[in-house]
Amino acid sequence: MRPKPPPKWPYTVAGLVLIGIVLIAGWSLDDARWERLPQFPGEILQYAGQMLDGVFTWPGAHPEGQADPELTYGDWWLQSLRLMGESVALAWIGTCVGALFSFPLAFLAASNTSPLAVRVPVRLFFNAIRAVPEILLAVIVMLPLFGLNPMAGAMAIGIHSIGSLGKLTLENIEAVDPRPVEAVTAAGASWWQRIRAAVIPQMLPETVAFWLYRFEVNIRASAILGVVSAGGIGALLNRVLRGREWEWGGIMLVVIIIVTILVDQLSAALRHRILHGAEATAVAA
Amino acid sequence: MTQATLERRDGPARPAQPPPSPLLVGGVLGAVAVTIVAGWAIDFSLAPVVEQWPQLVMILEEVVHPEWAEITDPSSRLWTALKETAAIAVIATFVGSLIALGVALLGSKVSAPPAVYRVTKPVMAVIRSLPDMAYALVFVAVVTGPLPGILALTIFNIGIVAKLTAESIDAVDPGPLEALDAAGATRWQRARVAIVPAVLPHYASYVLYVFELNIRASVVLGAVGAGGIGQLIMLYFNRADYPRLAAVVIVIFVVVIAIDLLSQVLRRRLV
Repeated sequence: MRPKPPPKWPYTVAGLVLIGIVLIAGWSLDDARWERLPQFPGEILQYAGQMLDGVFTWPGAHPEGQADPELTYGDWWLQSLRLMGESVALAWIGTCVGALFSFPLAFLAASNTSPLAVRVPVRLFFNAIRAVPEILLAVIVMLPLFGLNPMAGAMAIGIHSIGSLGKLTLENIEAVDPRPVEAVTAAGASWWQRIRAAVIPQMLPETVAFWLYRFEVNIRASAILGVVSAGGIGALLNRVLRGREWEWGGIMLVVIIIVTILVDQLSAALRHRILHGAEATAVAA
Repeated sequence: MTQATLERRDGPARPAQPPPSPLLVGGVLGAVAVTIVAGWAIDFSLAPVVEQWPQLVMILEEVVHPEWAEITDPSSRLWTALKETAAIAVIATFVGSLIALGVALLGSKVSAPPAVYRVTKPVMAVIRSLPDMAYALVFVAVVTGPLPGILALTIFNIGIVAKLTAESIDAVDPGPLEALDAAGATRWQRARVAIVPAVLPHYASYVLYVFELNIRASVVLGAVGAGGIGQLIMLYFNRADYPRLAAVVIVIFVVVIAIDLLSQVLRRRLV
C-alpha cells in the first residue's frame, strides 16, 4: 500500500502566520508612501541611463554645469579610484587590527584551550562588540579620537572585526582534531607548546581564509562609514548622489563595482589556495 | 643516566626541518608590503589616542549617563524609529528571500539550462558588489522614508540569499534528480519535487541569517535618509546629544543580541 503523505497543514499555517506578520509590518509604516512604488522602475531607469552616459563619455570631455571649467570626466575617474583605494586601504588596516587582537583572544575563548572562568568573559566581550554597529563605534569613540579621517574608519572596522573574527577563530580552534593535542600532552608539553605544536598548525589555514573573507566584508562596510566622514569613498558618494549628479555618481559606482569584484576574485583565489593547496588549484584552473 | 644516553649518539640523527616554502615566504612578505602601503595611504598613526584622550573621556562621561526617558517612554522617538526599523527588516527579508529562491534556481547548473545560469551568475555578482548603502542613496533620490530602505535591503537580500542557496543547490544529492530525469520530469517538476525540498533547511537558515544582517543594516541605512533608527543616530550625532545617542546604543545592543540568540537557536534546529 502506498504510504500516506505527511500532513501539509503545518506549512500552510506557518506560511499564513509569516504573511500576517509581513502585512502588519507593512501596515505599521505610516509614512512609507507605497503609492510611489510604481514610479520606481521608471525613475531608477532614467537615473541609470544618466549614470551610463557619464560612464561612457570620453574621459577627456568636460561635463556641463560644473563650477570648474577645466574639470574633465577623467578627473572624476581618478578621484573615484583614489578614494576607493583609500576605502580598500582602511578596510585592510581594519582587518589587520581585528586579526591581530582576535587571534590570541580566541585561544582564551575556546573550550579546548581555556578554562571556563576565562572563557565566559572573553566570549561575552566578542558578542558585545559584535552587537555594536561600526557606525556607532565610529561616531561615539573613533571620530572624537581621530577626527574626520580614514584612521577613524579603520579603527571602527578593526574593533568591530575583533568580535566576528574572534567568534569564527574560536570555532576553528574548537574544531581541531583532538588526537595530536592528546599526543603532545602525553609527551609532557606545556600549555603553550600544545597550542604551538598541535592547535595552531591545524586551525591556521582556515583562520587566514576567514581574515581574507572579512577583508571583503569590510570593504563594503567602509562605504557606510564615509557617510559620517570616517574616510573612504562613502562621503563623496553620499554627497554626489544626494546632489543628483548622476553622471559623476555612475562613474563612482562603476569604480566601486570593478574594484570590489577584482578584490573579491583575488581574495577567493588566495583563500582557495590556502585551504586546498596547490594541487586543487591546478585542477580548478 | 649517562652522558651517552643523553646525547643519543647511537640513535639516528634527527631529520633537518624543511625550509619554509617560497610561496609561504612570498605570501607573508606580500601581506606585510600591502599593510605598509595601506598604512601609509590612510596616514596610520596612534598618536591621537594619547592626544585626544581627554576629549573622548568627556564624551564617554556623557555616554554613561543615557537619557533613560527615551527608553522608558513607549511613545518616544526611539521606539517609533525602532518599530520602523523592525518593519523594514521584516518586509525586506520576506520579499527579498522569496525572489531569491527563484533567482537561485536560475543561478545553479543543477536546475537551470547553461544559457540561463551563465547569465544569472555574473549579474548577481555585480548586484552583490555594491554596498547596500549605494542602493539606498539612489532610491532615496526617488522618495524618502522607509520605502527606499525596504527596496535597498530587498536587493541586498536577493544577492546574498540567492548566492548561498544556489551553492546549496549545486551540492544537492544527485540521486533523486536522476530518478526524476529517468521518469521524464520537466525542469519545474525537478525543482518542485527534488531540489526545493532538499535545500529548504539551508534556505531557511540563510533567511534567518539575512534577517539578522537586515536588522543591523536598517539601523545604518537611516543615516542616508532611508528610514528607521539610523536617522536618529545621525540626528543626535549632529547635535552632539550624547545622552540620547547612548540610549539608542543600549536599545540597538539589546535588540541585536536578542535577535542573534533567537536565530542561533532556530538555525541549530534547522540544520
